[in-house]
Amino acid sequence: MKYKYLGKSYIRPDAISKVTGKAVFLDDIRLPGMLHAAILRPQYAHARIVSIDTREAEACPGVVKVITGKGCSYRYGDNIRDLQPMAIEKVRYIGEPVAAVIADTPAHANAALDKIKIEYDPLPVYVDARDAMSDDAVLIHENTEEYWRLPTLKAQHGSNIANVYRLKKGRGEQGFDEADVVVEAEFNYPLGSCAALEPHGSIVWFKEDKTIEIWSSSICPFIIRDDIAHSYGMPVGDVRVHIPEIGGCFGYKSDITVEQTIAWIASFVPGRPVKWVASRKEDFTSTLLAHGIRTVMKIGAKKDGKLVALKTTLYHTGGAYADTAVNVTIAASHNSTGPYEFDHCDLIGYTVYTNTPPVGAYRGYGHPEAQFATERMMDLLARKLNMDRFELRSKNYLKEGKVNALGEMMWKSNGDIQQCADQVRELVFAQPKPKEDDEFFYGRGFAAVMKSPKGAPFSTKGCYIKMNIDGSVSINMGGAEVGQGLRTVVRQIAAEALKIAPERVRVYGEIDTQFSPYEWQTIGSMFTMQGGRAIIRAAEKLIQVLKKTAAQVLRTDEDYLDYDGEFVFLRNDPSIRVPVTQLARGYITDNGITIGDLAQSVSDARLPRYSNPDQNGQGSLGVTYTFGAQAAEIRIEKKTGKIFVDHFASTFDVGQVINPLQIRGSVLGGVTMAIGAALYEVVQFDAEGNILNPQYFQYHIPTYKEAPRQTIQFIETPDPIGAFGARGIGEHSVIGAPPAILNAIYDAIGVDFFEIPVTPEKIKKALESQKEYA
Amino acid sequence: MVEKITFTINGETRTVEVDSGMMLIDVIRDVLNLTGTKRGCDNATCGTCVVVMNGKAVKSCNTPVNKIAGADILTVEGLARGTELHPIQTAIAESGAVQCGFCTPGIVMELYGLLENKPHASEQELTNALTKHLCRCTGYEPVRDGALIAQKVIQTRQVENA
Repeated sequence: MKYKYLGKSYIRPDAISKVTGKAVFLDDIRLPGMLHAAILRPQYAHARIVSIDTREAEACPGVVKVITGKGCSYRYGDNIRDLQPMAIEKVRYIGEPVAAVIADTPAHANAALDKIKIEYDPLPVYVDARDAMSDDAVLIHENTEEYWRLPTLKAQHGSNIANVYRLKKGRGEQGFDEADVVVEAEFNYPLGSCAALEPHGSIVWFKEDKTIEIWSSSICPFIIRDDIAHSYGMPVGDVRVHIPEIGGCFGYKSDITVEQTIAWIASFVPGRPVKWVASRKEDFTSTLLAHGIRTVMKIGAKKDGKLVALKTTLYHTGGAYADTAVNVTIAASHNSTGPYEFDHCDLIGYTVYTNTPPVGAYRGYGHPEAQFATERMMDLLARKLNMDRFELRSKNYLKEGKVNALGEMMWKSNGDIQQCADQVRELVFAQPKPKEDDEFFYGRGFAAVMKSPKGAPFSTKGCYIKMNIDGSVSINMGGAEVGQGLRTVVRQIAAEALKIAPERVRVYGEIDTQFSPYEWQTIGSMFTMQGGRAIIRAAEKLIQVLKKTAAQVLRTDEDYLDYDGEFVFLRNDPSIRVPVTQLARGYITDNGITIGDLAQSVSDARLPRYSNPDQNGQGSLGVTYTFGAQAAEIRIEKKTGKIFVDHFASTFDVGQVINPLQIRGSVLGGVTMAIGAALYEVVQFDAEGNILNPQYFQYHIPTYKEAPRQTIQFIETPDPIGAFGARGIGEHSVIGAPPAILNAIYDAIGVDFFEIPVTPEKIKKALESQKEYA
Repeated sequence: MVEKITFTINGETRTVEVDSGMMLIDVIRDVLNLTGTKRGCDNATCGTCVVVMNGKAVKSCNTPVNKIAGADILTVEGLARGTELHPIQTAIAESGAVQCGFCTPGIVMELYGLLENKPHASEQELTNALTKHLCRCTGYEPVRDGALIAQKVIQTRQVENA
């Protein structure tokens, strides 16, 4: 289909303010009378607090107040209410807030932190899910039965298992009796960090009029609003949350993270706004981490390669509080099929309390972790079957008529994974790979991927459009711009829907819960799809308002009228018409009497029939899928063991490209992040639960020099849900890189790796042991 | 210890009181409220705090205040002339190099320090400059595209001015 404003690259509405340094991020906000907080973190990752002495700190220069968790009577959380704003009786991870200083400057607040004296009684520390699950493990949370949790969740009280999710499809594990061949292996996608360039931060202001005003580097203002209103027992409308520009999210600025802690601190100085911004170290130790998933996977197949059964057991190192990890585990579990059909599935996901920072969302939300295993397994299985890896995959792709683990039927409109795979295969595998030389081994690897949103049934995105007197429109929504480019998408979709030039669509900047339409949170790569649908609905309503007024002006019936962006006109005689500029505020007749409604509209959209899981863990929990294929061409330096990704190819079926420059940018960035996960990134812990690398110079994220050449292509099979056929793409590009690269490593040197990151040391060790063996 | 220092920033002379333990970034952001310069790591790794001092790109988070007396400092706020953007800003805005925008001011200032001094900087020099900056969003390709467009514009301007 031909569109006027879609499929073209327009400059981002926020580009100019960002290149001129005028875009306002959280740390750039200065409020009258603002105070600054610094937060003390414990010396132990798991310990009872015996005593806290704040007297010396209180006497330090500039100090206004020293805060502890004493007296805090509430817990919070969106899924499991296990969080508390500040440690009370015990500390459960090394970055936990245990006390805070409020002072006139950040320097004064930080200087006084050292003067707080805390006595601890250390407890055993668990930094891995498996250890925390052992029968004799000390409980990290003693009274989990007292925590409120979503009714769909299943805790194992009296253990460190915060939740167990289990999905059964077909005959479950019994289905393996139909298999001719079985492969089994264990994989590890270790703890990582989103490591956005902007650290987390919040400002909270308890006001004299008993309202609370908050600014935060978060993508979920409405969750913060509702949660804090609940904790402080106030009407939701009396909490107002602002979201300024966000300097990258990638997951860990979703859900409620630091805001409750800053609110607790600020509640002690009513009348004064209190600001806190994480240091880079705190951004690692004291916000949300990512991944931490061990996957044990068993696949059964027929001799001809038809997949029959899948058993997945996920051990998720969920961190000291499981509220934000539990849905990552669930998404990882039911998406561990990858883009394949299995007749029988037994998928189990354990979310486990550990003495590490809480795990939360990371671009891909469980899919990269589980499909890292699936896509390595497909290569292992192909070898065992002595079958071509592309043929094996093709035989089993989730295409029209297939049924996924959740029991959802796939339709042609879900996208064409075969075509994605064929394109990538042609790009990367059509020619023979370079021959090993004195310096390098060469390898190529492939991965096919899929992702569903993992949202919530009630998740919706609101949209408000007002038409201005010149026919331009202003659009307000609650979607958080974190860099992904949703403002550009809003502008282009609204332009298309309202048939006006994108330059005439003014897109919102800051989000403010007082004025912004409701949005649950901007997650799951769902803004273009759900938000876009909301824009189309609001645009249709707006056009209807214009037609209703025009029908009175033109003395006819609404259904005889058409709209072209400039005029509302009679369909059978377009010369009978009225310009929209005369309809925007109602129509003023000759004698001044004004008729008709103001041209404004409001709408929202959620995914159709998205549901909770049933007793088998199945249900309409995906609803929409984006499929794709990715491949890596690598070089391994013999001398150093260093891996160079020379070329990376991706093809996704995105339904409809809205903005070519922007969608390419999204995939470029996602692939680069995932190369970081595959080759460099892991948050390292010692046995005591200390984080050993909480700085950029220790936790290496890919730099300019390490970014590969990329080929990125899109297939457009329109999706019936999304705006103009578009489906989600924001997270998908991170899924395939680690398995594709590890498959390429095998191709290069014949060594299978099951854990990332694959560092030069690991490669060298593997090469040396190969030599010994030979 | 509090001391008074005078320097030029974005073409204006300023005299401010600073604490001797401060870094240039503290003066720029917290004393002068020029918040375009970003604080990303505070240990000279990420490059978000880069400004131009005496013609050279420097990391403001590890430049002590005792180095700035009498200096000529340029921050991202000093590049545009009214609504007319510097060619580097235009190129970076149009090439897709802006996503979240937090690394952007530092990259813009790095490129300014390089290209205004050396319009014919080699590819290696460009790589060395951009490798000092972390970006989590773009995969760097659009940053390179923007840098190359800006370089061409600056080279053309140099020819026209000659």
